[in-house]
Amino acid sequence: MEISFDNNIPIYIQLLEYMKIYLISGTFKSGEKLPSVREFANTFKVNPNTMQKALVELEGMKLIYTERTNGKYVTKDEKLIEKLKDEYAMTLAKSYFQGMKRIGLGKADSIKYLEEIDE
Amino acid sequence: MLNKLLKYDLKYMIKNMSVFYILSLFFSITTRILFSLNETVMVKIIGQISVGCLFAMIVNILINTMMRSWIRFRDSIYKDESYLTHTLPVTKNDIYNSKFIQTLVFFIFGFLIILLSLFIAYYTKDRWLELKGVINAITTGLEFNTTLFVISFIAVVFLEVFNAIQCGFFGIILGYKNNNGKIGLSVLFGFVSYIVSQSIVLLLLFIFGLFDSSIMNLFTNNVLIDTSSMKLLIVLSILIYILIIGLMSILCKKELNKGVNIE
Amino acid sequence: MSNIKLLEIKNLNKSFDNKEILKDINLSVSGGKIIGLLGKNGAGKTTLIKLINDLLTPTSGEILINGKKVGVESKKIVSYLPERTYLNKQMKVSEVMKYFKDFYSDFDYDKAEKLLKDLDLDINKPLSKMSKGMQEKVQLVLVMSRKAKLYILDEPLGGVDPATRDYILDTILSNFNENASVIISTHLISDIERILDEVVFIDKGKIVLQSEADKLRNKEKSSIDEIFRRTFKC
Repeated sequence: MEISFDNNIPIYIQLLEYMKIYLISGTFKSGEKLPSVREFANTFKVNPNTMQKALVELEGMKLIYTERTNGKYVTKDEKLIEKLKDEYAMTLAKSYFQGMKRIGLGKADSIKYLEEIDE
Repeated sequence: MLNKLLKYDLKYMIKNMSVFYILSLFFSITTRILFSLNETVMVKIIGQISVGCLFAMIVNILINTMMRSWIRFRDSIYKDESYLTHTLPVTKNDIYNSKFIQTLVFFIFGFLIILLSLFIAYYTKDRWLELKGVINAITTGLEFNTTLFVISFIAVVFLEVFNAIQCGFFGIILGYKNNNGKIGLSVLFGFVSYIVSQSIVLLLLFIFGLFDSSIMNLFTNNVLIDTSSMKLLIVLSILIYILIIGLMSILCKKELNKGVNIE
Repeated sequence: MSNIKLLEIKNLNKSFDNKEILKDINLSVSGGKIIGLLGKNGAGKTTLIKLINDLLTPTSGEILINGKKVGVESKKIVSYLPERTYLNKQMKVSEVMKYFKDFYSDFDYDKAEKLLKDLDLDINKPLSKMSKGMQEKVQLVLVMSRKAKLYILDEPLGGVDPATRDYILDTILSNFNENASVIISTHLISDIERILDEVVFIDKGKIVLQSEADKLRNKEKSSIDEIFRRTFKC
């Protein structure tokens, strides 16, 4: 994944987004052990403290959990990840329709455009 | 940490001085060889050039030891390199002591090279005896052991020059406290502190003279005092110079410890 | 121990010829942070950094590093990159490495060797035979190869190309160890802001703001660079 940051938005929020996508897309599967904070920080080229903050947020959302000395794991609750995926897809869909609405196209037209896209 | 600082200070001096040492020895050898050959005009001319070069190198050793000591002192304490010097985990005293010892070592070493060069170029048994005779003639009059006389005489000259170098260090320390005209002020302060230190030497001699009439003659008559007091004068001078050099080095370290302001 | 700050500056003033360069600086830095010291040219960044490194003497005020005054003990734990080339140019890179090893017990020779190799720098070359850019890279490697508690980098990105800039930021990120802090001074904020925990704005010799970077972005809804420009209208 191409990683770039927008300096106008707190970096940890952007990291949180990237992490969510990793979980939804299955880059890290349910129950899988995650790389360390340092390793993450190195891949994203960000400050380990900022990375830590993003991971703490993820943990707060129960998407990952810490096993005392072993490090961090992706939640075993697959439903939670399904739910996240659902929400995320819905957000993307909504923003698509909003955009179409702005140029005066209704739902039916919008879907027609979607069907024309070659995979 | 002093030994580590000293290691690098000595390395620097070797790097910059060895060319003069080598050339000085080289010309002493050529001088020796040329003067042992048949005396054709050509050989004579080259021989004279060789002698000229030898003495040029001897002067070079003396002047460069002095200049390099000052430049090294200034560069590592006040120029770009000072960014490293002052951020090393060493005390300012160690930094100063290292420069002090470095200068001392290279003065002695340079002096030995000069003696060696002269020995190589000119030693013959006859000349040695002749020189010995001259010195003996002086020393017997002075009731002085010959070897001791030579050594203590050299010591006085040596201490005097060393004092001058340290006055230079002090001048640099004071000069670089200012924001403008650092070099000019360094020279000025160095010169003034040299004059002051020399005056103190004379003053101390004078004070001693108040208790010893033979020393007082030095001030009242201007002629060389009676021979027996020469011994006293030399010993006294050595002690006073060591005292002055010691005091000056304490003063330098005290000023350095007040902190620097690097541009 | 925990309440002793890594760096604590109290009421620091510095004047040259009666001209005040720094006015009443108060700053404290704890461990494990990357801090951006941000200000325009001539704002007093370098002066402040030189005071912390004993290259300047304060007119008044106090600087404590790990609870101790600036001196031998503080120099053991501070690794400093000046904004200029400062190594003896007669020396080869390998000699300078030995020099660092001699004086800094926390210097990791092998690490420096590896980093220099990554950069394709020949350690048997004297510094005088290297370009200014190469010398600056050597200096950065040496400074980051120490296991120090506080790294102070003065304008590490001044005049380098984007590729080198990324390499420098990477080197900083992957080499500062936990509990250590890094202070980076710069006027090129956008290049560096994503790695900062905290920012300190300095202007006309005064600290005008100190904040967590993300908090500031959240509050002002814009980048640090933008906020800086707005604050100083440059």
